[in-house]
Amino acid sequence: MSNSNSESSRKLTANVKAAGCAAKISSLELKQVLSSIKRPQCPELLTSLDNFEDAAVYKITEDIAIVETVDFFPPVVDDPFLFGRIAAVNALSDVYAMGGNPVIALNILCFPTCDYPLEVVEEILKGGQAACSEANVTIAGGHSIQGPEPVYGLAVTGVVDPRSILTNGGAKDGDLLLVTKPLGTGVMLLGLKGELLKDAEQKQLLQSLTGLNKGALEIAKKYEPSAATDITGFGMIGHTCEMALASGLSAYLYIDDLPFFAGARSLAAQGFVPAGAYGNRNTFGSSVINLENVETAIQDLLFDPQTSGGLMFALKEEPAMRLLAELLENGYDAAIVGGLQSGTPGSIFLNQKSSLIEAKK
Amino acid sequence: MSTQKASEKTERLDLRGLMCPEPVLRTKKVLDGKPQGAVEVLVDSDINVMNLTRLANSLGLVLESQHGNEGYTVVIKDKKTLEHSHDLPAPEKAMQSSDETTKHAEKNAKATTVVFIAKDTFGEGDRDFSLNLMNVFLQTILQAGHRPQAILLANTGVRLMDPDSSVIKVLNEFKAAGVNVFACGLCVEFYGLQEKIEKEQITNMFAICEYLFSADKIISP
Repeated sequence: MSNSNSESSRKLTANVKAAGCAAKISSLELKQVLSSIKRPQCPELLTSLDNFEDAAVYKITEDIAIVETVDFFPPVVDDPFLFGRIAAVNALSDVYAMGGNPVIALNILCFPTCDYPLEVVEEILKGGQAACSEANVTIAGGHSIQGPEPVYGLAVTGVVDPRSILTNGGAKDGDLLLVTKPLGTGVMLLGLKGELLKDAEQKQLLQSLTGLNKGALEIAKKYEPSAATDITGFGMIGHTCEMALASGLSAYLYIDDLPFFAGARSLAAQGFVPAGAYGNRNTFGSSVINLENVETAIQDLLFDPQTSGGLMFALKEEPAMRLLAELLENGYDAAIVGGLQSGTPGSIFLNQKSSLIEAKK
Repeated sequence: MSTQKASEKTERLDLRGLMCPEPVLRTKKVLDGKPQGAVEVLVDSDINVMNLTRLANSLGLVLESQHGNEGYTVVIKDKKTLEHSHDLPAPEKAMQSSDETTKHAEKNAKATTVVFIAKDTFGEGDRDFSLNLMNVFLQTILQAGHRPQAILLANTGVRLMDPDSSVIKVLNEFKAAGVNVFACGLCVEFYGLQEKIEKEQITNMFAICEYLFSADKIISP
């Protein structure tokens, strides 16, 4: 804590230990805790906790299921409106990742009212409202408590046709993997906090963080993806690993094709790497083949926990190419980054170069 | 709390208790102001140490860290001042990558072995016999499960990487096992093997020296 500068101690992110999805409890710790808790069977529950799904899906009728998710975290940026917006976009994303349409949400807020003026709370909630309005989601209430550091997020309910749920586990041998947002938010947010980003870099980052995954899902649905998830706290490697594992396949990634934020690689190389990236490395590092032949900055970005990350779809090569083209046309920083094939389930092979480059051009 | 005690030569920073990215940021600010490096910082987590290792690598500096009751004491200096230290990171920088350096630091300075081969025969003697011995030598270390950090080939040793060489198969197996196999570029040119050896397998004397000086053990048949 820098007390020499009273301005900075009032900043929203100043006293936050881990920001955004970097604040997640590690997957290993979570598994350990959850393994000891017995859950009764529920036939209406269409998702399994074992498949690391983004949200729970509960079947109401043959045609309607509800998608439930909750997500919240401490400030990732100093601007309270922007923080509220990013937290809400991030929370809504889990519904899109299941192929659902969010309809109603509840605010979750923890705030030290002694440390910050009340207007800050107001701005955070306004930011959340702005994201929900854009997504056509009604905020119907919420819950707030006092706490040592600010935390904001949403509990979201969405609807989905039970027959068109997009899970982690539906991917097929031969599918390609397509991501819809650049990678490296954890590293970039440290750069932002350190005031190291150029204007253009900051603009690209904030645009991505505040961008709903709604549009990308709507486009992708036309191409019938076999699986989907959003890239969040467990990073590119973690979520790829979970999808591969849930689908009983192995994955491969093309390093040269991964879309990283401008400036991310240089920041990572200089040691602006969030603790969560090291946690993800510990959890998922042993699943990655050929990791040691990839430069450290790229490795760190592969493990970097993503806040408000993009969606990742698995789909056949031909529709993947068409989906990519349509997403690019619509201004998404999308890329085909690898694929899935039979092999040790959950393992990820890293290739430097893509054999698809020519095909894509 | 952070206090900065200025000392005459090595600047010392107490960065304990600071949230990420402050420890890296403050260290970077000090180092950016001195091309020669040299800073000592006190931090409280191994994550800070790993991040500072990356910072040091990116600036071409080296890092030593010690864990004590007070936290981690990290010294970042330029290479010359730490030339004979065993904590010298591996020389991946010369290859435009700092992978090995970090791996090295993260594995708590596990001893590294480099095999340096400066001729195509194993010792001096009957030529065919000595060539064959080289093959036996490489096969044996491969089969014994030894995985040196690198196999470096110089002078007539680069001939071993000719696709027609009798040991190319075993060298490829080492590569597949993650061992760096490099040939000296000057030697490759001198013996006219440019067309036969892949560019990625060719390195320069600077990199070779970095490997040799940072290795804990050098085996040279």
